[in-house]
Amino acid sequence: MDKAVREVSREIKEAADRVTGNVGKVIVGKKETVELVLVALLCEGHVLIEDVPGIGKTMLAKAVARSLGCGFKRIQCTPDLLPSDVTGIHYFNQKTSDFEFRPGPIMANIVLVDEINRATPRTQSCLLECMQEQQVTVDLETVSLPRPFMLIATQNPVELEGTFPLPEAQLDRFLLRVGLGYPSEDEEGEILSRFQEGNPLDSLDSVVEAEELLEIQKLCRQVYVEPSIRSYAVAIGRATRSHKDIELGASPRASLGLHLASQALAAIRGRNYVIPDDVKYLAVPALAHRLIAKTEAHLRGRSAAEIVREIVSTVSVPVEEQT
Amino acid sequence: MKSGLQKGALYIAIIGMEACWLYALMALLNEETAGARLSVPGVLVIYPLAFIFNLMLQRLQWPKACIWAVSWLAWAVGMLLIVKVQLFAGLPLLDSSWLLSVPRSVVAVIYAFKPELLVLLGTGVMWWLGRRLTYLKVDFGALISEFQFGLLILLIAFFAASQLGAELGSSVPIVLAFFALALSGTSVAHALEGKSWLSGLYQGHWSGLLLVSISLVLLVGLLISAVVTPGLLQLAVAALKWLLGLILKLMALIASLFPEPEPVELPPAMPMPEMEPSEGFKLWTLPEPVRNGLRIGLYVLWIGLIVIALWRVSSDVFGWLRRKLAGMAGAEFESLPGAFRADLLGWFKRIYHKLLGLRLPIRSGARGRSVLPEIASVRQIYRQLLRWSSAAGWPRHVSQTPYEYLHALGQLVPEVQADLDLITNQYVRARYGALLLTEDELHQLSQSWRNVRQNKLKKGSRYKWTKQSGK
Repeated sequence: MDKAVREVSREIKEAADRVTGNVGKVIVGKKETVELVLVALLCEGHVLIEDVPGIGKTMLAKAVARSLGCGFKRIQCTPDLLPSDVTGIHYFNQKTSDFEFRPGPIMANIVLVDEINRATPRTQSCLLECMQEQQVTVDLETVSLPRPFMLIATQNPVELEGTFPLPEAQLDRFLLRVGLGYPSEDEEGEILSRFQEGNPLDSLDSVVEAEELLEIQKLCRQVYVEPSIRSYAVAIGRATRSHKDIELGASPRASLGLHLASQALAAIRGRNYVIPDDVKYLAVPALAHRLIAKTEAHLRGRSAAEIVREIVSTVSVPVEEQT
Repeated sequence: MKSGLQKGALYIAIIGMEACWLYALMALLNEETAGARLSVPGVLVIYPLAFIFNLMLQRLQWPKACIWAVSWLAWAVGMLLIVKVQLFAGLPLLDSSWLLSVPRSVVAVIYAFKPELLVLLGTGVMWWLGRRLTYLKVDFGALISEFQFGLLILLIAFFAASQLGAELGSSVPIVLAFFALALSGTSVAHALEGKSWLSGLYQGHWSGLLLVSISLVLLVGLLISAVVTPGLLQLAVAALKWLLGLILKLMALIASLFPEPEPVELPPAMPMPEMEPSEGFKLWTLPEPVRNGLRIGLYVLWIGLIVIALWRVSSDVFGWLRRKLAGMAGAEFESLPGAFRADLLGWFKRIYHKLLGLRLPIRSGARGRSVLPEIASVRQIYRQLLRWSSAAGWPRHVSQTPYEYLHALGQLVPEVQADLDLITNQYVRARYGALLLTEDELHQLSQSWRNVRQNKLKKGSRYKWTKQSGK
């Protein structure tokens, strides 16, 4: 292996370990979820954290944001939130006798959109341009968002009253959907102990600066993907389109997302090449939220994640032929 | 039905389908080139023999080149035996003339196509097909490909026979057997994938459907053979001729409506000067062997063009059928786009690979890329590991990654866990990371593979594996 390339993978792994360790001061356990959030961060993607209330979704988003020396803003979604509350407005400055742009909370490096499904579809839609093109258009003016830019949204899948389900176009723009799950008995005890004297989040320092993060994001793209691995990711994406239980399969954006996320995961795990296990591991978080299962599948109690797992268990992994 | 039995049934279906079109083709060639001197079933017997022999050969842990050589040596012996028994039964065994007849027939191919050459080529193709079956992944896709290819060959054989006026004799039983085997094979292939009555809930439904399908094909085949008589065909030809005559009369009538053109007197032709061939002209006359070579090249070109044309036509026909089937309400449509093309390309690729020992860079991604010898040796060792574990009854599932397989294998043979770890790690590095191994690492790898190979199989491990993999 080239020495410089080896250095690159070591550098990425070290930075990822620093962030994971820092977040671990607040979030007990859940290393896999933290790793997935980092994957999305390294490939300039966005994350949807979906789980029941009180699990630590917002805490995780805030801990990640604090660990990065970047600008952080929070948007608390409510039914009366307007698009202009998110993107910003042009107001008339009486001193200069001119219209000036006042940026909204979206103009930050890390944006936490809490309870995203409580915002109306109109407000949710204003995030589409931000997420895909990393810019906002207000009136006739297009303003680029700061780099790095990452949107971390949370939503509660249980409580549906007064909420507006995210449209497919919106879900497709999230690179990964992750869940946290309940902590184990020991972990829950550890949480109580840590939060006894105060919130550890308040004393959390940044461990990776914005410039370093941008550099790491660029390096991630250099991770080698063997052509057969690329074909494997494509095969998984395509298999979702012909599965009998799926109404709407994964888009090419999903396949691209899976490909980029695999590169980032490989880098985080200290490799400078992607292996099939990376693709397999990421298939559910990268694809499940983008699929629409058929009604019959819903009635049989089959979730999209389950279908993706089934697909992954049938698609051939590129390994040597036995003959 | 048990999985092993289903696999066996699928093998029988594929062997039967291939035997049907091989029989038709050999019967036609025997009639046209050998004057029906050969007994076709006698030649065809080499096909199942090739399968069984190569199957047994594959179970031996010999090097690949050695297996290849032994296999083709056995073919040569079998082919010579057939030549001796069928064409030179009267000659003593030690007489060399029957042995030399085969190479002589190859040399004389420009002038005549001898029966010995037919035996040589026919048995060669059959041996290759039988050998291919031993490593072919037998599933629904393979069955459909065999069906498409076999049907095309049968159609070509019957068309050629009708054009050449050759008497195939047993065409109806061949077709009936071909379709019956294809239908049975399809049913078993579905059963193998767990979608059929053979292992599922709808036993009556599928068995009924299979029986009805076979009965229907037999009935329709018999009806067609009974109804389509020479008299009926002559009647159809007469009707076509009448229609053609009518069209010609109509054209003549239209032509008569136009005025006749004025005859134009042409000037007398200039007398051609008599020319003697110059000395230089003789120098450009190609020697006979080169001309023979060019003739062969021309034949190959023509055959290639015909094959490509047939492929295009059959692709279009199948595409049209697929579109029609997809449009039918309630019809189940299973698309295999590009399967025939992939088979054809794969076939050419394998021939090229075997002849030159190179991989044909068909895909653009593979163009100009070569595998380094260090990486090739790591991949070779891992391939051997897979073959070894598969032969021991612990095959890798297609969806298992090397590390998942390592985890499963390590639980069965914990005593070589470290060696398996090393082999898998180095393979993953070389295969997916294109990373080169040092000499020490390669040596260590070879040592680990030797350790794994020396490991004896344990009783009950096969049962544990099947339980674990849910087979």
